[in-house]
Amino acid sequence: MNVEELVRDSLREQADEPMPVQPGFADRVLTARRRRRTRTLASVAAATAAVVAVAVAVPLLDSGKDDVRLASEMNPSDIIAHPDQTPPRDLIAAGNVALASYYTWSTVKQTDDRGTAVRTYWLLDQKTGKYVKTTKWSYIAVAPGMRTAAVLEKDLPAQRIGLLDLLTGEVERWIPVGRGVAGVEFSPDGSKLVATTYSTNPDLRYRADYDSDGDGKKNDWMPQFGQSGRTGFYVIDVESGEGSWSEVTYNSQDLNVRQDFAFSRDGKLVYSGLTTAPHMQYYDFEGNEVPKPANEEYVHWFNDAGLSPDGKLVAGGYAGDNKQSASELLDPYTGKRVTKVRGQQLLAWVDDKRLIAWDIPPGSNEFHNRLVLVTIGSDKVVPLSGFRKGNDGAAGRWTPIFAER
Amino acid sequence: MDAEVQEDFREFVANRSSALLKTAVLLSGGDRHAAEDLLQNALIKAAGRWHRIDEPEAYVRQILYRQQVSRWRLKWPRRELSVPELPETGSGTDASSAAELRLVMRAALARLTARQRTVLVLRYFEDLPEADVARLLGCSVGTVRSTTHRSLARLRDLAPELAALGPAGAEQQPSRDFSPVEVRP
Repeated sequence: MNVEELVRDSLREQADEPMPVQPGFADRVLTARRRRRTRTLASVAAATAAVVAVAVAVPLLDSGKDDVRLASEMNPSDIIAHPDQTPPRDLIAAGNVALASYYTWSTVKQTDDRGTAVRTYWLLDQKTGKYVKTTKWSYIAVAPGMRTAAVLEKDLPAQRIGLLDLLTGEVERWIPVGRGVAGVEFSPDGSKLVATTYSTNPDLRYRADYDSDGDGKKNDWMPQFGQSGRTGFYVIDVESGEGSWSEVTYNSQDLNVRQDFAFSRDGKLVYSGLTTAPHMQYYDFEGNEVPKPANEEYVHWFNDAGLSPDGKLVAGGYAGDNKQSASELLDPYTGKRVTKVRGQQLLAWVDDKRLIAWDIPPGSNEFHNRLVLVTIGSDKVVPLSGFRKGNDGAAGRWTPIFAER
Repeated sequence: MDAEVQEDFREFVANRSSALLKTAVLLSGGDRHAAEDLLQNALIKAAGRWHRIDEPEAYVRQILYRQQVSRWRLKWPRRELSVPELPETGSGTDASSAAELRLVMRAALARLTARQRTVLVLRYFEDLPEADVARLLGCSVGTVRSTTHRSLARLRDLAPELAALGPAGAEQQPSRDFSPVEVRP
């Protein structure tokens, strides 16, 4: 017997089990349909401060938009690497994870001592499999599946969230928001968005009166630490566009000026990073503070990779020496180190055994790093991109955004 | 929806829901609640155009499949946490171990993404050729082929017990290995 035959047998056995439908199922369907129609009409009619209205109804089945031929799926190779490209031009992927986008920073001066840090994005064009520069958006989050991105327009905080079709490059729907939003993140299953609201643009920068990067010049722009204008968050159902806003107050001394909310692993809570211990604060969707989930006790917002897909390990910090780079992997419940894996900084889990990381050649400048694939229990490091140039914050240095392909 | 159309709809639901729910359960990886939601959504969509549908069952089935792979039902296996550890199995080919192997497979299928599972259901339960699956899901034959290949490989990853099985026809492409690394110029 081979795997295909076993799949067939298992499915048939499962389908042979009796599957009675409750009496009145047709009524349930018809009632739900009536409710849904009423709700859609009502939400189009009026957007209140707390409720986000549906901009356009969900596309119909036969609108032809389901003809999916995504570049990230056309190439089934387990590893798609371009070690000669920095910044990348063509799709980079490993297992079920792909580089969906990346961005660079620049500061746009507004007055002599004030400016705005602006991201320029390169977004995967799902038709061509190439990263295409866009200056249209101030913030982008890519949904798992890489078919859709949530985008914010220039001049944060923004008054609406766009859902961008990565195949056509068009915004197919706008979700209006009553309160200004400056950051968005998808839930792990892509069904929800958490949008962080701010009273002021969190990307404002002020000319530092000291030489921050040590290059001998007083020409550095810094955020005004301790003055976060964060007000709370929306949790929005992507399909319907409906959601609610929760106010969250926190001592802004313990927050970065931009401190966006993100979802817990199970998508049932949101969290915020903190600049001081306990480093993470979780909230329910009503904005109430709640304890950390047991499996996220040792998740830190500054270690990007987080929990492994099977939830058995959590990515930790740097644990290498000057001969070899390494990062630690912890038990999510005890925080004890389980093992080490190659890599300078762990960015994303590819599967339960492999991660995408930044890595440096032994003994080299810590900023001269490239994307690599590392494997638990192996010293093998597979380069995925070329090396980044320049020091932290230098123009042209790119920051990757990963998504499930 | 006028009274006559509504009556026709009720009759269809009464006669065909059980069969449709079976398919929905397979698509949902055995999650009965998710399957009912899936079927309910499909029927709601179909109800809106009931008087214009020639073949209701084919239409509802198509909605079921497409809902599973549509852009909002994205690829993360959202119900993975509800699945317990894979049952341990012995080796051998007697009837009990074959049954155990099917249970292992069922648990592994539940942990695939919705898109992966849908393609396997269409290919191996509905026995549809690749071209029909592609037409039904609105994607290319290449996508069906690569998704099938990747899904079978993922099943092997999820359930090491399946390692003893022979290679599948759809697995003749390169496996999940580190080499060769594809480097495009």
